[in-house]
Amino acid sequence: MKPINDIDDKNLISTYTYPWKKILVGISITTACALSAVAIGSVYIPTMAIFSILSSKVFFFQESNQLASSSHTIIWNVRFPRVVLSLLVGASLGISGATYQGLFKNPLADPYLIGVASGASLGATLVFLTGLPFTYGYFSLLPVASFCGGLAAVYIAYLISHSSGDTQLSTLLLAGLAIGAFATAITGILMLRSDPDLRPLLSWLLGGFIRAQWNHSILMIPYLVVGTIFVLGYSRILNTMQLEEYYSESLGVDTEKAKRVLIISATLMTSAAVSFSGLIGFVGLIAPHVIRLLWGTDYRTILPLSGIAGAAFLVLADLAARTIVSPVELPVGIITALVGSPFFVYLLLKSKKAIENVY
Amino acid sequence: MVGKVLLSCSLTIAFGLAIAACSNAAVPEKASPGVPASTPIAVPAKTYHQLLPAIPIVAAMPSMVPQKIEPASRQKGEQAKPFPTPTPEPIQTLVAEFPITIIDRDGRKIVFDRPPERIVAYDAAAVETIFKIGQGDRIIGTHSWVYYPAEVANIEKVGDAFNMNIERIVALEPDLVFLFYPTFKEELEKAGLKVLLLESVDDNLMKIFDTFRIWGRITGAPNEAELLAKDLENRINRIKSILGPYHSGPSVFQDVGDLWTPGHNTLMGNVFDLLKLQNIAYDVDNYGQLSPEVIIDRNPQIIISSNPELIYENPAFKELIAVKNRSILKANDDYLGISGPRFILGIEELAFEFYPGLSR
Repeated sequence: MKPINDIDDKNLISTYTYPWKKILVGISITTACALSAVAIGSVYIPTMAIFSILSSKVFFFQESNQLASSSHTIIWNVRFPRVVLSLLVGASLGISGATYQGLFKNPLADPYLIGVASGASLGATLVFLTGLPFTYGYFSLLPVASFCGGLAAVYIAYLISHSSGDTQLSTLLLAGLAIGAFATAITGILMLRSDPDLRPLLSWLLGGFIRAQWNHSILMIPYLVVGTIFVLGYSRILNTMQLEEYYSESLGVDTEKAKRVLIISATLMTSAAVSFSGLIGFVGLIAPHVIRLLWGTDYRTILPLSGIAGAAFLVLADLAARTIVSPVELPVGIITALVGSPFFVYLLLKSKKAIENVY
Repeated sequence: MVGKVLLSCSLTIAFGLAIAACSNAAVPEKASPGVPASTPIAVPAKTYHQLLPAIPIVAAMPSMVPQKIEPASRQKGEQAKPFPTPTPEPIQTLVAEFPITIIDRDGRKIVFDRPPERIVAYDAAAVETIFKIGQGDRIIGTHSWVYYPAEVANIEKVGDAFNMNIERIVALEPDLVFLFYPTFKEELEKAGLKVLLLESVDDNLMKIFDTFRIWGRITGAPNEAELLAKDLENRINRIKSILGPYHSGPSVFQDVGDLWTPGHNTLMGNVFDLLKLQNIAYDVDNYGQLSPEVIIDRNPQIIISSNPELIYENPAFKELIAVKNRSILKANDDYLGISGPRFILGIEELAFEFYPGLSR
């Protein structure tokens, strides 16, 4: 046995290097996925035409005038905004899922954990049943209502858990569940008491990108960027929060503030995602786990890479949803669950040991 | 570490390739019979009239219609009425016969010894039909989304489309419960009630009329039902005979919400066939959510939608012929949403919209 002062000092100093390489590789894979998602669709458009359209938009080259105007519309106004929106939504769900999993130290946590989903559904249902028109020019009411509903649900849950001075995460979890169940019940009552044609509402709630437009992506970006900056800024603190709370406080971490910032950022990202794409399950749950199983438990690695993995996964899932049974589309949630679960089980089997060490 | 990176990369790529392979393989079969999107054709100056079929229906209609449909003996100067309510041919008086046997959806025989006096009709179309043949006072219960005819307001509502108050139905002591979906069939039968579930009319327009006749037989009013069915059949046949000589009409896309659309084997698909409209969702089975890019590619001349504004405002659809021509019709769900006696009104409304040459 070695004497204690023989231990190499380097082992005690963090040897963590920021995963720039992985992030770069991830981004390039995601870009490749996105480009192939633009290239493939239920209407066949030759690759050269796509290059011509994209280069004319991005680099201001003269677009070939040999193209049918419908190809241009399909690429630039249908597929491209859709791919971009699914990237943004996937990234938001991945990052906020990882944040919640870290915050609650719970492997089952997903972005909809503390009531965002039910609140958003209730908000959307209310707009739907008041019979207000969904859109006033470029302003669309449905996303706004679902965004407010999601935020309101989480805020109420937060107030409940905060009542004793500090935020009890277990109380937040339970309060979120209760608020969510309550909102779901109200939604159910409203739907049963309403006009029969619920198809648009139901298909909105199922989630998907069939409505994707450029302005959705533009509205989505600020939430993703601001939320990501805050969450990444707190990723080191999220690491210390994996310890018991009094340990992390003894390390000088203001856990109250950290909890607040992380909850707000993750909720904003999730609400924005829900309001433009409805409820898409499984992405926020498995993207962080996949990263964790592959590259360990450090949240400085997990958070950014979960975002990238979520984006890539959702782009491919949406690609599958709109091409498998073409010309008809499938709800993207079916694909995320159908492809996601077997892949996830495969990873679980491959790295049982890793999982047991994580929690 | 490197191994894990490689593993994850290869998995992602493999997944991507698999999807790419699937969708590529599917591309050739999907090529629409029309002009593929890829064909470089200059299409800036497409207008509605240029796209009409070889025989210009709209242009030809006003002068041709009366000559085609009216018998030679028609008086000169009489107003052209392409869709008059035809005077029903004298039909043999039918006698209500009991007992009768009705075959239900599962092929089982349901025997009626006498017309049911207390019917719970859990279907908007059935309620409309029974009132139309003058037997409305037999209905004692229905569901809360039935609004027509006005007398329905006084009939007890025993549930909505998702829930059924079975206790209340049993308490009403009906001698027939008519359903349009099978969810609660077994429970009602266990409660000792006579339940009828007829064959779905969703795939064939003409089955609607058979349903009228079945109701006539059940309620002991076969003559009224026969008159109703004949009237509607005549009106359908009139439309058929007018449109008979023409090859095909404009292309159409119906959006029932969020780009869900009826395919070829639906009631609306049948209506489109009847009106010689080319449904751009010809390859959709039942109802499906049509991909936006497919809609752009197939470029319908007319769109029927329950919410036209959503389509007008979507930047992806701004180049569609239907949008440029402002020819998005608002669907009349009161008529076309219920496969009852008023369905024909919806069909005729569409016919007038699509073929303005037909005067009302």
